[in-house]
Amino acid sequence: MSMDPDTPEPSGGLKIPKLPDLEIPKLPNLPKITVTRKQALTAVGTAVFVVVVAVIGGAILLNYTQNQQVAAFSSHVAASEADIFQVYDKIAVHMRIPTNDLSVAECDAHMREFAAIARYGRDVTAYHRQIVAADTIPEAYTGAQSAYVRALDNLNRAFTFWSSAAGAYEMRDYAAANRNLADADEAWRAYAAAITDYDRELRAAEEEGTEEGGEEVPPPPA
Amino acid sequence: MEWKDVLPVIAGAVVILVVALVVKPALLGEPIGFGSRGLVPAGDPPAYVPPAPVPTATPFPDDGEVYTRNFRWTAIDGGVQTTQVTVPEALFREHRETPRITDYNTWGRYALADADRPVLEDLARRIAPPAANPDEEYFRLMDLVFFVQQIPYDKDDNATSYTEGALPRHAMYRAGGVEYPKYPAEMLVDGRGDCEDAAILMTGLLDALGYDTVLLRYSDHMALGIRMNEFNPCYAKYTPKYFEHEGKHYYYIEGTDFEWWNVSVGSTAIWGTPRAIGDAAGTGLPSVRSETPQIVPLRYIPEPGEYRIRPARLPGGGA
Repeated sequence: MSMDPDTPEPSGGLKIPKLPDLEIPKLPNLPKITVTRKQALTAVGTAVFVVVVAVIGGAILLNYTQNQQVAAFSSHVAASEADIFQVYDKIAVHMRIPTNDLSVAECDAHMREFAAIARYGRDVTAYHRQIVAADTIPEAYTGAQSAYVRALDNLNRAFTFWSSAAGAYEMRDYAAANRNLADADEAWRAYAAAITDYDRELRAAEEEGTEEGGEEVPPPPA
Repeated sequence: MEWKDVLPVIAGAVVILVVALVVKPALLGEPIGFGSRGLVPAGDPPAYVPPAPVPTATPFPDDGEVYTRNFRWTAIDGGVQTTQVTVPEALFREHRETPRITDYNTWGRYALADADRPVLEDLARRIAPPAANPDEEYFRLMDLVFFVQQIPYDKDDNATSYTEGALPRHAMYRAGGVEYPKYPAEMLVDGRGDCEDAAILMTGLLDALGYDTVLLRYSDHMALGIRMNEFNPCYAKYTPKYFEHEGKHYYYIEGTDFEWWNVSVGSTAIWGTPRAIGDAAGTGLPSVRSETPQIVPLRYIPEPGEYRIRPARLPGGGA
């Protein structure tokens, strides 16, 4: 059986309908763009305006952001200092207790209090260290941030040694307690040195900010 | 192109920037502006947790079994005294069951043991009753010193040093022999002891009278030191020996021996006088003559040398 090429009939018997010829419409003629000099100048002016607005806005936003970063860092340091001074209040009260005439039970209670203060100090410094170290700050302040974090690390180490000293006392190993206290004293001195570094770095950062004509950083909220 | 075509573009850009840099950080609690500061831990800062109270020890019952010991001793005026000491048996047994601490730096705890305090205070009052005349203070002190010096010496290695006739289970065996520092109550019940036992008992008694004392540890001996501002009696035929500790002077006192002589040739009876305060040379021990002892305070409180917080200036001119 022959097959008509225009109406093919496959073996299944289904017929494929013949598609009509497609007619491609003619493209309309695009209007010719004619740009006047005034329009061109307007477009260029707009583009320049957008760029200028973007640059100025970006600069203002960047400055604002940096101020916000410094303010956040400042508030974190302030919170840290407030909590550390609460620890210090406990220490100061503890150190004022006369120990000349304590009984053995009172000595032990005194040391348990010392251990509790050490734990408190260790927790407070670890908590604030995490917060201050996570701050994103302008590059000029990274030295100050690093020094303050180092100060908290040393303070944390000092309180950890205090805890160890209290533990050694509990184990009646007074020699180990003395060794831990000596290590703690060293950590306290390292803390004091780090605070001095922090002050110096902070002053340098602020002087740098003043020289660059940056806006004055607002004091942190009380 | 006209202004009306440009303005929506600019307004859209501004809205996107505001949402991205201000609204979103404000809603999520992130810092406003460019960049992220990482995660800040949530929650309140740590709070101070005071130590858990320790239950006070149950006092030993007054009507319980007691050990009664009678001490016959000579006061410094030459008069023979008899003093009875009673120690609750439960207290004595508890001490015997308490493991000893190897670190001699902690042995002041034995002298100051709270449970022994009533026994020591009572004994100190009877040996050295309060005197109205301050000039008698020295005689009170020396009576107490002489009382302890007359308690027989016995080494820790000897079973005779213990009322049970056997070494306690917590006696510490060392290369040089047995070491067993006794609580004051144990020394009184046993009625004998060695140098550290006598030093511990004497410091406990002196502390009960309000004297500031320390233990003096030599390589082969233990004595005690009593704090005095100046002690240079005109009658002394020696230069009183003292040791400085934390700016205070502690004068040497021997705990185990006194100056004695036989009453007469061939007699076993002796008479004597206390080994005086500051008389270190009279002991005859080479270590006491030549060594500088380690000073062991009775009360040990680890106190840090550094503890002051340095205030940090705040960035941005904060206080």
